[in-house]
This record gives sequence, structure tokens and C-alpha cells, in this order.
Amino acid sequence: MLPYILRRLVLALVTLWLLATIVFLVANVLPNDVGRTILGPFAPQETVDALNAELGTDDPMLAQYGRQMKALVTFDYGDSYQSKRPVWGILSGPLWRSAKLAFYALVMTVPIAVAAGMFAARKRDRLSDRTIVLAGLASSSIPEFVTGSILAVVFGVAFGWFPVLASFPPGTSVVSQLRFLFLPALSMSVVYFGYIARMMRASTIRALEADYTRTAVMKGLSQSQVMRTHVLRNAMGPTISVISVQVGYLFGGIIGVEKVFNYNGLGQTVLIAAKAKDLPLLQASVVIIGIVYMLSTLLADIVIAWLNPRARLELGS
Amino acid sequence: MDEELVSTPGSDQVVDLSRSGPVTMQMTVLQQAAVERKQARRERWQLLRRRPGFLIGAGISLFWVVCAVLYDRITPFDPFDDLSTPLARPGGEHWFGTDQIGRDVLSRVMAGSRDVLVIAPISAVISVVTGTLLGLVMGYYRGLVDDVLSRIVEAFLALPVVLVGLLALVTFGSSEPENGFLRWTLKILTLGASEPVVVIVVAVLFTPIVARTVRAAVMAERDLDYVTSARLRGETNLFIMTREILPNIVGPIVVELTVRIGYAIFTVATLSFLGVGVQPPSPDWGLIISDHYSLMNGGIWWPTLFPALAIASLVIAVNLIADSIQAVNDR
Repeated sequence: MLPYILRRLVLALVTLWLLATIVFLVANVLPNDVGRTILGPFAPQETVDALNAELGTDDPMLAQYGRQMKALVTFDYGDSYQSKRPVWGILSGPLWRSAKLAFYALVMTVPIAVAAGMFAARKRDRLSDRTIVLAGLASSSIPEFVTGSILAVVFGVAFGWFPVLASFPPGTSVVSQLRFLFLPALSMSVVYFGYIARMMRASTIRALEADYTRTAVMKGLSQSQVMRTHVLRNAMGPTISVISVQVGYLFGGIIGVEKVFNYNGLGQTVLIAAKAKDLPLLQASVVIIGIVYMLSTLLADIVIAWLNPRARLELGS
Repeated sequence: MDEELVSTPGSDQVVDLSRSGPVTMQMTVLQQAAVERKQARRERWQLLRRRPGFLIGAGISLFWVVCAVLYDRITPFDPFDDLSTPLARPGGEHWFGTDQIGRDVLSRVMAGSRDVLVIAPISAVISVVTGTLLGLVMGYYRGLVDDVLSRIVEAFLALPVVLVGLLALVTFGSSEPENGFLRWTLKILTLGASEPVVVIVVAVLFTPIVARTVRAAVMAERDLDYVTSARLRGETNLFIMTREILPNIVGPIVVELTVRIGYAIFTVATLSFLGVGVQPPSPDWGLIISDHYSLMNGGIWWPTLFPALAIASLVIAVNLIADSIQAVNDR
């Protein structure tokens, strides 16, 4: 098991390096004048040049790339171009808020989606199955910000049950925070419900058709025993993979939801940093999102190996 | 070769290979295969037409296509005319109300289908073409080429598509193209300057995803007997990839194309909402929502809800079509 984890970690580091390189290339592929972007179109050229020299944004491309790579290793991204504050200080708040929202959404989604997927698999091709499959298809294909807007109009404006803005004042109690975060978390849930439920349905069907399940039924185990120890255990593997991929996306891919509900998480930070060409902040936040993605997929593979001896065998070899 | 008979499923004809010469033999088999494929296509189309999901999806899509093509004739008001009262409630003259500068929301929603229905399919087609080429090479050659490309694909996939699109669009911006031909093309399609950039960015973002799907399909084919026999016949790698393997993986590629159109609509709408996609004054749906979502808190819901429902209906329609095609292919 340990060699496997080490191998995965090395691969993850290679991917992380590529990812940081992609971001660097995308941000630098066109000649851009960071000083000009920060100071605006009316600042005198000398000031712009001075700022570029100070930030090091007039250095040769390779030197700038070298600095970025050093930052990737040392985790020291320096100060934000815009606010002059250390990048990690700026990021810790949004990171924590994103984590909170992602966790909330996952807790809301996973149990319902897994149950719905198993239920649909057992009622295969009947009306309830078709309904769940279609609902999943629809919910996962609509952009998050659209779902968010519709939910905000219905539950926020029409019924007035939940606040339309998720940014709660400091010192809000946990229970009250849950109320503020309900609509954004629900919007994310709606989207991810589809992915998870459909994957769970497919893998449950595969497990139900497998020989070991037939054997378990034939030897007289009760239905709940078969479902729990034979079907669920085997069907969870692919579903956990899907969930782990979504965790990465929940951290950074939900810019739309954050924007609709005006919630200052990692997504909003990336949006602002990208628009302001604040490269240190941008690099650092993208790398964090990448790390979250890698860690959650790695963790998922370990959990799958723990659940399923066969996967453990494959990993060991 | 002794008595080798090739019989094709679904027909009673048997081609006796031992009697015909090598050239005619190949021709007959190829012709036979072409006829077979045509018939299979017709059968699939008939199956498709019987699926309610496909019909509903096609109906909704058709509605939006009609809006996109004929919008300047069928919208009740000029979508760009800002002469009415701003933020009028839905009802009376303006069924969907008016937006914050007095434009008719219904007309804008109808006209807004245009940008997305031009951008999404074009970028999906480009990404499927490039992704298929890449996937063919990766799956067929494997080895170092595949390893390197797979790593890059993996790195791309670690970031949410919308995030990379955001970075690219902020960098490339959406300035008027210098090239005269490009500007002329834009004029013919009545598109703004930002659209081609969005098309290219979305196409590039989807390419690795398509490549991964095609690669998996190629891997499943490359060790089958027909590929081996083509190799033994001395066919070139290019011929084997494009004429032997490609026709056999058209099914998954078509599914991938429809799925990609759905995701392209998703991505384009999100990028517009974030303010980096299609630029004003285009009545793009994501853009309308972006302009008005902050008014929701004050109870002004119509300029947000109606474009949101429009996006939802189109995306669901395209996915219903994709789902039906996949179901028919899998039979």
C-alpha cells in the first residue's frame, strides 16, 4: 500500500507542476503590463515602469517563471500586487469559507444522492427510476449560477424563507450561519446530486447483477444484509471516486454560486485576482485548488482500497 | 487461405473469399460494410425517433433555433431598444417585464439564444475534431507520446473548466480583431468581437476531455483482430487509424459531441455571467443575469429568472438528446 501512495504522491507533484506552468503560461502568453493594469490608464509612464521594476514584472520571462516555481516549492507566494499584503493572509479567509460551504453541500448531497441511486437501481426501468435518472440528468447539466438564481428567486424572494445574500455579519451563530449558507449549499447540492446519484445507480446495478450477489441471495441472507454487505460495499467505489473529484471542483469551480449569493470564497478570490492580473494571488489560489483536488482524489483511492480487497490487490502490484 | 467465408450479420448473403481475387474481395467486403452501416444508421434513427426524451429535447432545441434565426422578426419588441419604463413588472405589454434600462426582457431572452447557439456548437465541433485526432494518436501509439499527453490532460482536468476559461479570457481579452477577414466573418454572423475568443477558449478547454474519451475507445479497439489483420496487410498507421479504427468509434464520438454541446452551453453561460465571456450589449442569457442578479434582494426577480429558465431549458434539451443517442448506441 505504501509504495502505491508514494507513487501517487509523486504523480500528484508532477501534475501540480504542470498545473502551475499552465497558469503561468496562460497569464503570460500575451505581453501584459501589470503596472499599467494596477495603476490604471492615466498613470504616468515613469510610475508604471517603477512599479513594474519593484514587482519584478519587467524581468525576463524565464526569471519570472523561475520565481513562480520557487514559490511552488517553498509555498511562499509573497505579497499580492493589489493589496500589498501577504498572499497567504488574504487567502486564509476565503479558503476557510469555501471549505465550510463545500462541506455543507457535501453533507446535504451525499446521503440523499447515494440513497436515491441505490433506490433507482433496485427499481430499474420503472417510473421512479426514470424520474430519478432524468432529475439527475437535468440537475447536473444546469450551470450552478442558474440553479442558484432560480432557487434565490423562489426561496429567497417569493417565499422569503432564506436570505438571498450569503455573506453573514461576523459573530453570527453557527445555526444562523447554516441558514445564511443554505441556498448556496443547496444550489451546489442540486448540481452534484445528479453526478453522484447516476454513478451510484450504475455501480449498484453492476453489483446487483454480479455473481456474488446472487450467491448471497441464494444462501438465504436477508435483503438488507445483501444490500449492505455485498451491494453497497462494492458499489461505493466508483461513487467515492466521483465524490472526490467533485470536492476539488466544489472548492474552486463554484465561482458562479459564490457570485450569485455574494459569498467571498476561493472562487471569488480567483475571479478578482484574475481580473486584476494579481499573479501571486492567482497562482497561489489556483495551486490550492489543485492541491485540494489531488488530496481528495488520493484519499478517495485509499478509502476505496480499504473498502475493497480487490482494489487493494491491484494497487499493491 | 482455405474455405474462408465472411458472413455479415443481418443479411443472408455470404461472400466467398476463396473464389474472388484479392482486389475484388476487398471491394465487396467494403461495399457490404458500407451498406450495413447505412442500414444500421437508419435503424438507429428509427429507434431514436421513438424516444420521448429525444422528441422533447429536439422540440425545445428547435424552438430556440427558430428564435436564434428569426429573432429580429418574431420578438414583440426590439431587444436593443431601451425606450420603455425601466424595471417594469411582468404583465400587460411586457410579459416578462423590462430590464434596468427599459428593454423588453422577453425579446432579449428570445434574441439571447443566438450567441449561445452559435458559440456552443462551433466550439464543441472544434474540440471534438482536435480531441479525436489527439485521442487517436494517444490510444494508437501509446508509449511515451501517450504518457506525456496524458499527464498534460490530467493537469488540465485538475482545474475546473470554468476556472481555466476565466484565466484565458482575462488574458486574451476580447478586443476587435485586426484581421480584415475575421472582422468580415463576424459581421456576416452578426457577432460581437468577444465571441471568437470564447469559441477558441472553450474549444481548447474541451479538447483534452474529448481526447481522453476517444483514447479509451481506441484502446478498446486497437488489439482487435481487424486491426491486427490490417497491420499484417501492411497498411500504414495513418490508414489504420483513420479508415479502420475511426469508423468503429463513431458512436462514442457522436455521443461525446452532443454531450460537449451541452457543456459548452454550460461553460459559455457561466463565463458570460462572470463577466469575461460575451460582452454587452449582446442579449446573452448569462449576461442578462449578470446585470440583474444583484437586484434580486430588492424583489426584482424577472430579469434574472427568465434568462435562467431559458438556459435551464436549453441545457436540459441538449442533454435529453445526448442521453437518447447514447441509449440507442448502447443497445
